[in-house]
Amino acid sequence: MPANKELSAALDIEGTAPIHSVQLDAMVVLKIVKHCRESVPTTVTGQLMGLDVNGVLEVTHSFPMPKNQDSEDFEGSQYQLQMMHCLREVNVDDNSVGWYQSTNMGNFMNQSLIDHQFEFQQALSKSVLIIHDVARSSMGNLNLRALRLTPAFMKLYKEKKFTSEALAKAKLTFSNIFEELPITIRNTALLSALLYELETSDETLEVSTSHLNTYKNNTPAKSSVLTPSFDMLDLSMDPFVAKNLENLMDTIDDHTQEQGNYAYWQRSVERENKKKAAHILNRKTENARRAQAGQAPLPNEDVDALFKLPAEPSRLDHLLISGQIDNYCKQINEFAGPTLGKLFAVGELQK
Amino acid sequence: MSRFFRAGESDSDETDSDFSEDISQSESEDHSDSDSDDSSDDDDMPKKGRLFGGPLEDSDSDDDTVRVVRSAKDKRFEEIEQAVTLMANGQKINDWVSVQNEFDRANKALQKSAGIIAQTGVPKFYITAVADLEKAIQTALDKEKSASKKMNASNAKALNSMKQKVKKNNRLYEKEIQEYEKDPENYDVEEEVVEVKPKAKKTKKVVESESEDEDEDEAVDDGFTPVGAGGKTVEYTQDNLFKKLREVADARGKKNTNREEQVRILEKLLLIASSPYQKIRVLLSLISAQFDFATGISGYMSIPLWKSADKYLNALLTILEAHQDYAVMENVPEEDESDKDRAPEKGRTLFIQGSLVAFVDRLDDEFTKSLQNIDPHTTDYVDRLKDEVGLYTVIVRSNAYFTRLQMVDAVSRTTMRRLEHLYFKPDVVIMAVEAATAGLLPASVAKPSQDSSSLIHDLCVYLYKNASSLLRTRAMLCHIYHHALHNRFFVARDMLLMSHLQETIHQADITTQILHNRTMVQLGLCAFREGRIKEAQACLQDISGTGRVKELLAQGLSLQRYGAATPEQEKLERQRQLPFHMHINLELLECAYLTCSMLLEIPNLASAGANPENRKRVISKPFRRMLDYNSRQVFTGPPENTRDHIMGAAKALASGEWQKSIELINAIKIWELMPENEKIKEMLGRKIQEEGLRTYLFTNASYYSSVGLEQLAKMFDLPLASVISIVSKMVWNEELSASIDQVSNVVVLHHVEPSKVQSLALAFADKAAGFVEGNEKLLELKTPQQGERPKKGPGGAKDQASGKQQQQRTMGPRGGRGGRNQFNNGLGNSVRGGRK
Repeated sequence: MPANKELSAALDIEGTAPIHSVQLDAMVVLKIVKHCRESVPTTVTGQLMGLDVNGVLEVTHSFPMPKNQDSEDFEGSQYQLQMMHCLREVNVDDNSVGWYQSTNMGNFMNQSLIDHQFEFQQALSKSVLIIHDVARSSMGNLNLRALRLTPAFMKLYKEKKFTSEALAKAKLTFSNIFEELPITIRNTALLSALLYELETSDETLEVSTSHLNTYKNNTPAKSSVLTPSFDMLDLSMDPFVAKNLENLMDTIDDHTQEQGNYAYWQRSVERENKKKAAHILNRKTENARRAQAGQAPLPNEDVDALFKLPAEPSRLDHLLISGQIDNYCKQINEFAGPTLGKLFAVGELQK
Repeated sequence: MSRFFRAGESDSDETDSDFSEDISQSESEDHSDSDSDDSSDDDDMPKKGRLFGGPLEDSDSDDDTVRVVRSAKDKRFEEIEQAVTLMANGQKINDWVSVQNEFDRANKALQKSAGIIAQTGVPKFYITAVADLEKAIQTALDKEKSASKKMNASNAKALNSMKQKVKKNNRLYEKEIQEYEKDPENYDVEEEVVEVKPKAKKTKKVVESESEDEDEDEAVDDGFTPVGAGGKTVEYTQDNLFKKLREVADARGKKNTNREEQVRILEKLLLIASSPYQKIRVLLSLISAQFDFATGISGYMSIPLWKSADKYLNALLTILEAHQDYAVMENVPEEDESDKDRAPEKGRTLFIQGSLVAFVDRLDDEFTKSLQNIDPHTTDYVDRLKDEVGLYTVIVRSNAYFTRLQMVDAVSRTTMRRLEHLYFKPDVVIMAVEAATAGLLPASVAKPSQDSSSLIHDLCVYLYKNASSLLRTRAMLCHIYHHALHNRFFVARDMLLMSHLQETIHQADITTQILHNRTMVQLGLCAFREGRIKEAQACLQDISGTGRVKELLAQGLSLQRYGAATPEQEKLERQRQLPFHMHINLELLECAYLTCSMLLEIPNLASAGANPENRKRVISKPFRRMLDYNSRQVFTGPPENTRDHIMGAAKALASGEWQKSIELINAIKIWELMPENEKIKEMLGRKIQEEGLRTYLFTNASYYSSVGLEQLAKMFDLPLASVISIVSKMVWNEELSASIDQVSNVVVLHHVEPSKVQSLALAFADKAAGFVEGNEKLLELKTPQQGERPKKGPGGAKDQASGKQQQQRTMGPRGGRGGRNQFNNGLGNSVRGGRK
């Protein structure tokens, strides 16, 4: 089987096989988490290096981008090139396969992110975006998502045509702007070995592993090295929900604004249509009169030229906002289930 | 004409006819004031009549034979005269080009006869003509300015150049014109004496018939005019009565028909008519001829004319009452043209074609129109208003007549008219009118009712049973109005709710909508008098809250904010205005509305506290706006008008100074217009105390853990029981989180604040709801459009769509219609708002 796999991977020279999952090296994950957590609350980005093998995108290395990107765009790309050059010098993977971004409470749906990812996917069709949610990770579970823009969205975005009609045709809704790929985390053999060793460690091993221990006391290493995270049992739910609600309200406000824009457009279209109909009618009566008088009828073609319907406002913003709202709602849902369980558990305990 | 008598008749006759002439002259002067069109023919009519003897053309030939023997002077003058006559004709039909030509011709002839003029002076008819011409031009110019349809270019040009010419020309004859204007009646009389003398013989016959007439009926004296001077045309006898009548009827409505002339002929005929049939026929024509005078939308019938129409209508009704076998009906076949006097066969009724109900309607409408046009602050208005009794009598009388003939439709219409004259009046006035009417009418016709409410009730019940739906609606509204006027709030409210009028009223015609608005306002005022502040506010909100009170009640033109109203729309609106005596006092209305708003809004504001979300719950927008404006001012002086008083009271109430608030409210002068204002002030004082207590609790609840009920009672000077009831109500309505400790007689206040998540969740729910609502609106906008989208559908659908839009369009641009639609929209909204 492995030989077979290797073979098909080797055969896939053009790289046509679609990616169906992302495999992150443990080191990459740790680097991302470290970088993101260090720079909270600002949003940071970085590059992912690796290779796609037979539909699995293996990310083996990453490096952060400098923070002050906004000073000049040129500098950023320059840095990236230099960095990649350096990596090649030391024989590390220097094949760019995407980028990562930190986020807070899942509010990453915005125009610039889409722009960026679109550029990536234009240049490297197999690139992914890794989103790391710092706030949510701090609540116990590591929160990583691998996202790609769907082909349908890519096509529309290329044409910059976000009308209702086009959206309906492409069957594009807020839920399929991105496709999410499953993430697996791979440890190197050495690391696995170490972990196993730690797990089964006894007194003899303690000496050798004590440097990993954060507590310099007599607690058994077993419990200190691989302590289960108790963050999960945190009972304070208010801040999270409140934060989410605030975000939701902001997005609803944005959406209301979009709604206003759309209504305005609709009204103006209606007005224009009325004018047009009036014109056509006039022309009709005029033609009837002319027909009676034996004159050639006036042409009807110029009507469309005369009355230009105002262009429909881009629905992209609307789409993104909907997606964002969806995100928040999912988060609250995801949060609510376990929290309820916790609350019940605590209630039982207190009895 | 008076001079004819000097030739042959006795002195007594002369004085008589002199008198009559004066009257007719002054009457015609009256017409010229009201109707500029008439002014030209009025002013030259008498002159023409005197010179040529009569209005009919054949009399000219007589004159010519006489004039053959005249001197050169006469010949020249005749030319000028002709020009003057043609000029007058031109004026009448607004043909200024021909007027200009004739004017030039007259001036030329005048120059030719300069020698003669040097001896005799300028001919006086010329002076009158140019003086009149100047006036006519002025009126024509005035009319031109206001008229919506401009006259054509050449005509307008001619008119303008005429203005210049006449001005220059008239300067030459300034003295003469002044003389003429001093005494227009007698100015050219002396001269005519000489010329007319030869014809004196011919008029003898007329004189005879006239003296006959005078014997017959002295009362119609003012109807006499110098018409008959022509000769044979005036032979009105029994025999040719119908012929003449038909002539008049045929001439009616034609161009160049002299309406005044027709009325005069008919009046003559009336004197001759002897049988009831003849009289009825003549009266029918006469009344309609009189109504023909008033033309145009804004013009109204002159008052003497109206009065005479009223008189004749009464006369007609008298005849019909006396001779019950004659009946005037609308749908009766046209009488045969055999000019026979007809009499009913024994035991059967003779039907005559005519529409009495139309006359009554018209009479009433003209009355309203005249009231709309008379300045309500003059004695003229009061004088005019006195005629209402007469009008009311006619309505009652005709109503009785129709009832006898069982003409249901006509009865409904007159009953409605009657009701509309009564519903807004207080009891005393209704009873006075009823008594006066009963005095004027024979006992068989009018039964004076004892009680105004039962009278209104009877009238309305009749209409509910018999009338069409529109009249039923109006009757219902009048009935509600009447109840509201008499402080029967619940009766009125129940009627309004049971009738489901509010749901359909925005589809009704505008006058009915106005009536509905009036009713709502009156209902609100009634609730206010009864001390039902909340109900009063709800009723008044629709009207007073809009800021278009004047327009909605048809009590004055609203200021057009966008200047969108076309002249036609404005004219229509002007036409809808209610006469002044029906007005509801707007200041009182505003005062009541604002007071209600204050009593509701101040506790509301206090309960909202500092929370901006809650502050958005507005009860009365205008009040909020005023309060905001008032509180923004750096320095507020002592209150001057009603608004200042209420704003001051509101502020005092908000800060718990209820005594000051009561003082300010009681200082408002307009309350004196309310019946029993002392009681109302007392009621308001009590309400202010209560609302003051509520406001106090809302504002200060957070600072206390418990408040003594007795303390509260003392603070607001309220009995303990009512304090307990108010506090309990607040607790029950969850306005105040507290409980009452009855043992120690204190209110224990609980302090519960929603957690952050809770308040956020609430806010979010609000937002989401608003968003969903917005979305639904968007969808609504979109759905009807789908069918019409011409882009997608094939050709057939396209046609259909444009057809649909065509309908919309044809309705749109028509001035009046558009205005009405706008108006409807406004009302529709307000009604919808009211139902919430």
